Amino acid sequence: MRIIALIKQVPDTGGERRLDLTTGLLDRDASDKIIDEINERALEVALAYKDANKGTEVVVMTMGPEDATGTIRKALSMGADSGIHIADASLVGSDSAWSAEVLAAALQREQFDLVVAGNESTDGRGGVVPIMIAERLGLPAIGSLDSVELSDGSVRGERATESGSMTVSSALPAVISVTERAAEPRFPNFKGIMTAKKKPIGVLSLSELGLSEASGGRSVVLSTQERPARTAGKKIVDDGSAAAQLADFLAAERLI
Amino acid sequence: MSPKVKDALRQYWPLVWLAPFGIIMVAAVVLIAITIRETPLVQDFMTTYPGHTELPESAPVGFPAWLGWAHFLNALMLLLIIRSGWMVRTVQRPDAYWTRNPAIPFRTRNSPKKISLDLWFHLSIDVLWVINGVVFFVLLFLTGQWMRIVPTSWEVFPNALSTAIQYASLSWPTDNGWVNYNSLQVLAYFVTVFIATPLAVITGLRMSPLWPRDADRLNKAYPIEWARAIHFPVMLYFVLFIIVHVALVFATGILRNLNHMYAMRDDESWWGLWIFAASVVVMIGAWLAARPIILRPIAQLTGKVTKN
Repeated sequence: MRIIALIKQVPDTGGERRLDLTTGLLDRDASDKIIDEINERALEVALAYKDANKGTEVVVMTMGPEDATGTIRKALSMGADSGIHIADASLVGSDSAWSAEVLAAALQREQFDLVVAGNESTDGRGGVVPIMIAERLGLPAIGSLDSVELSDGSVRGERATESGSMTVSSALPAVISVTERAAEPRFPNFKGIMTAKKKPIGVLSLSELGLSEASGGRSVVLSTQERPARTAGKKIVDDGSAAAQLADFLAAERLI
Repeated sequence: MSPKVKDALRQYWPLVWLAPFGIIMVAAVVLIAITIRETPLVQDFMTTYPGHTELPESAPVGFPAWLGWAHFLNALMLLLIIRSGWMVRTVQRPDAYWTRNPAIPFRTRNSPKKISLDLWFHLSIDVLWVINGVVFFVLLFLTGQWMRIVPTSWEVFPNALSTAIQYASLSWPTDNGWVNYNSLQVLAYFVTVFIATPLAVITGLRMSPLWPRDADRLNKAYPIEWARAIHFPVMLYFVLFIIVHVALVFATGILRNLNHMYAMRDDESWWGLWIFAASVVVMIGAWLAARPIILRPIAQLTGKVTKN
């Protein structure tokens, strides 16, 4: 089986994250650049299958700036076999639809049985790219899987619904995305880190994918604002009316 | 000036006056000590209390090899304990967490608590440190070496004062550590071995997952807040002790002193210095090796290591 895991370089949520207020784009130098944790979990789903089934090949694919190679190396050190890096200056600030179009074009050049992605990135939080990719590839998609069971010709798993959970399955090839409940990512070991340096990473530009511009429109950021400073909370001291004040507060916030 | 420079200035401003202030204070202490040392009263006092007390007849001379080993292992583990403890205290997002395998080393009623890899390392070295300490204590009392570092008469206090005056007046005592420590040493070693160490262990134990969580009466009698308040200052004491100890070992006859503790011989050959140098290399190696990529596989032997 050949599995392609989609990964993304994101700013570390542990630090301060900033947008460039004039362009509306992510200020990538403001924080540490890491592989999105949800992608590590998606990759873990693929690697766990590889551990159990000899002959499985796991490829990671990312679209991102030059230094996103670092996130590919991280994925390779965890155990992926090779990487594909779509890097093109004109992809800066690409929106979900355009990203999905580019990724789908790159996936079309590849043989695969399964594409596995995170359910949503920690920076964009759109959560639509995996589904958009499936749409473009004309493949079945299962989003936000809490657990994944992969077998030779099919994938099945559980996903949460508003009222409970349901078990869904699909024939392969398919596109799935996983939630943070799906798997606990492994740590790279010494051997992984050493061998990661020798694993191949293919770099693709837009023209190599036969693309030059988004087929539809592009979303443009119109304005960006700094998040207002947090204000102090209100303390309620019980003078007999605390219950009413709390109820009023909850009602005012539309929580009841 | 950029805000960064301003911040740094504000942060380090105390140093600008603290350093000269400290130098002046030290100079003042030295001057006072030299001055009072010349007075007949102090001269008389120092003749009565030369700076060390007589040891019992049965006190051993010199140091056995086990003591050298215990001393080296203690130094090594103390270094790692202070480092890992500092990380437990300061790291806000630990690199990894460890959850004990519920069957290793034995089954417990409560399910294992998830702790950071830093805390796991701190506690693991603590266990080794305590084992080393127990072995040290047992041998110390079996061999009579305890007499060297436990004061056996009240005269240790005036003698320690006498030693302090000798140090402060820069006319350092010429004692023989192979046979008998000066009283200031005896007090410092006694406090470190018999007060600071048990305090560190008992306060650390109180905060560790090993402590019985549900022993209400015990926990009321010995609140965890006390342990928190004491554990850190004890670490500061150890750091201060190590600095002063190492500085004085070096300054009061480095070759002979290191021979005593590292080569078990009482001469001025270079053996002790080289063995000590090797021990420092081991300590640096351990410091550098104490990183997640090496600790994780070790931690995995007894539990589950996860990122969150």
